[in-house]
Amino acid sequence: MLGWLLRKNTVLSEVVKRFINTPFPASSTPVNQANFLALDLELTGLNPRKDHIVSIGWVPVRGQEIILAEAKHYLINSPVSVGQSAVYHGLHDHQLKNAHDLADILTELLAQYAGYIFVAHNSALDEQCLRFACQRCFGKAPRFRFVDTMQMEWQRLLRQGKVVKHNALKLPSCLKRHGLPDMANHHALEDAYSSALLLLSQLKLGGKTMTLSDLYLLSR
Amino acid sequence: MEVADVTKFLADTTPFDQLDAAALSQLAAHINVYYYQAQDSVKINTDRLLIVRTGIFTLYSDQQQLLTKLQSGDFYGYQQLLTGLTDNDTLICEEDGLVYWLAAEAFHQCRYQYKNIDIFFQRLFSRRLHQYREQQQVSRFTLKISDVVQQRKIAIRPEQTAQEAAKLMSDSRVSSLLVEENNKLVGILTDRDLRSRVLAHALPASTQVSQIMTRQPQSIDRHAYLYEAVQQMSQYNIHHLPVTDQGVCCGMLTATDIIRSQQDHPVYLIGEIHRQQSSDGLERCSQQIAALAITLSKQQVPAYEAGHIITTITDALTQRLIYLAQQKLGEPPCVFSWLAFGSQARMDQSLNADQDNALLLEKEPVGAVGEYFSALAEFVCQGLAQCGITLCPGNIMATNPELRLSLKGWSGRFARWIATPTPDALLKASIFFDLRVIDGSKGLFNALQEDILQRTTEAPLFLYHLAQTALQRTAPLGLFKNFILEQDGKHKKGLDLKKRGISLITDLVRVYALYAGIHEVNTRSRLQQLAAQGIIDSKDGQNLNDAFDLLAQLRWEKHQHDLQNSHDVTNLLNPAEVSGLARHQLKDSFAVINEAQSRVKQRFCREL
Repeated sequence: MLGWLLRKNTVLSEVVKRFINTPFPASSTPVNQANFLALDLELTGLNPRKDHIVSIGWVPVRGQEIILAEAKHYLINSPVSVGQSAVYHGLHDHQLKNAHDLADILTELLAQYAGYIFVAHNSALDEQCLRFACQRCFGKAPRFRFVDTMQMEWQRLLRQGKVVKHNALKLPSCLKRHGLPDMANHHALEDAYSSALLLLSQLKLGGKTMTLSDLYLLSR
Repeated sequence: MEVADVTKFLADTTPFDQLDAAALSQLAAHINVYYYQAQDSVKINTDRLLIVRTGIFTLYSDQQQLLTKLQSGDFYGYQQLLTGLTDNDTLICEEDGLVYWLAAEAFHQCRYQYKNIDIFFQRLFSRRLHQYREQQQVSRFTLKISDVVQQRKIAIRPEQTAQEAAKLMSDSRVSSLLVEENNKLVGILTDRDLRSRVLAHALPASTQVSQIMTRQPQSIDRHAYLYEAVQQMSQYNIHHLPVTDQGVCCGMLTATDIIRSQQDHPVYLIGEIHRQQSSDGLERCSQQIAALAITLSKQQVPAYEAGHIITTITDALTQRLIYLAQQKLGEPPCVFSWLAFGSQARMDQSLNADQDNALLLEKEPVGAVGEYFSALAEFVCQGLAQCGITLCPGNIMATNPELRLSLKGWSGRFARWIATPTPDALLKASIFFDLRVIDGSKGLFNALQEDILQRTTEAPLFLYHLAQTALQRTAPLGLFKNFILEQDGKHKKGLDLKKRGISLITDLVRVYALYAGIHEVNTRSRLQQLAAQGIIDSKDGQNLNDAFDLLAQLRWEKHQHDLQNSHDVTNLLNPAEVSGLARHQLKDSFAVINEAQSRVKQRFCREL
């Protein structure tokens, strides 16, 4: 009776399997040789168990260059109404009618960016959502490797002995502090791009000898 | 899928600002973004175009000489992309910043697809960006004689008869004939002449044309502007003007030709000026000048043509005031020339110009002669002031008795300036060396001009000091190609387009013109003559001409902007308020001035 569901899962899980089997670069790798994928999700709420993804945006960083050719932004079919969350991301139910299936988009993401280190601003929520989404679509969630530009900024400011207020860590404030153009506006691709810019600046501040393990330490 | 921040930046950056949204988005898809930290060196031989998004980057030559600084909206790498050659320059990041790397293929594709973008980069490469124009609308508000005049020439010989003339007129359906002898214009004959000089006097039909024609008629060059023809027709109250091409007669321009071609044009204002019977009437006419200027600007009339028109109107006001003065004061006791100096003489008058004029008299200004011209000058200068052309704060006006001199008086004064040129005196005097006759005797004026030019061409010491004076001020370009802003009395910062731009070129060109004895006063005409005579390199001349046009254009637009916002009209431009293209062009124009100044220094300021 549920055969179609199982069949779909077995086909799709090939992608998950490949993602799991692709190793992440060694921790001793210099950051300028690693591949990153900055991404951002817009959600119907803040609870990763209950809430759904309404849009997803990503842009890869290779050799410390943001590759705009691969910048992607997708609206996702949501099983529930976007409700009040529309206030933040500006996406309304009627715009989501021609949106994509979450499974298709996750397949594209996993297939193309295996071995990439994911980057997000305040990554905890994005990571959890992504895991639950994979669980829902494929029956299994791979282990992601995330670095958090917000954590890195927090640690940097702490080391400078500054008192950090919560607002000071929001994406627009961080961009401003780094002298970067500020376009962050709760649009998944714009925010992903902004966190990629922030990452570039943070990698430069880490110096030429910075490795991935240094980066993970900073982003903890 | 596009990142809005990137496409928005491209949309604001010259030359990509001409692309539509789809093309911009396509371009953005070929961009990689990189972040440089201060002290980082930029690898530039990578076959990509660098677009600076934020930060400052410094370019050094292989000898570690600082070449230029790049900032937001500047480009690098197009040199290699256009020529395929590499250089040994190094680019160092000076202030942390983002750059966009545009893939070579996308860059070339864009150039092939959009001609103007190709031209932009070609010009940027040849450092002659001031010659690039944003897609210019071809609008010819200001027609030239050659645009209007009939291309056929109907001529008769002086020994032919009145009857033959009448038949030729009817056959050719024209109202006037050119009278030529050995291909040389000797007179004109109109149908009115046949009526008033033949029929009214009962002369026979066999009367020779030479007996009834108007001899030595006024004529006009076919390259002159149409409003100049109207000016001439109004001034002499004639309706027919033979048109010449390089001195050879080629056709006839009639008042009807003009009316047919023009409906809303400054010619009507000029015509109206010549019909006024009082200075109050002229004042009413002059109130239309501001509106006319706005119309000209809306019609995208280039600044130099607009300057020409404004000057022609000032000329017309002056001529009419002189006519009205004579109506009031009676016939003048001797022949005179009304002279204009400075911008009116050069025909590049702007809306905020003041009066610079003088009188050249046939006789010494003593007794009755002195009194007459004192009164005439008072009438004309006050009249001009009433028409909004303010009195000269430096008192360079015909009302000043120092400036009402005989030919001998003027000649002596110029001779003194030329023979003993102290820099201080020259600073004041340089304005007098651009002079033009507005009304009265041309012969008297020509005698003075010949006298002056004869002296200046043989006076190296004078040219040395004149050049020194011209070099005193420099273009407002800093060591690193940044703008140097200055403040006006109201503490507004900006670039003084006149003092630190247009005047510098005018001054330089004047040195050459006086050296070469060129009669032209208009800066563009002087440059053309100088290049034609081989006094200056024709490319340098063209560069100066372009820089001059650009600065004049920016000033004209600035004035229009002030006028429309009811501000005081000033020459102070805030570079932040102009487009990226204009900023590039300004820098290039200033660089052209710097080069031209150093050439003048080499040529005229070596040790004597």
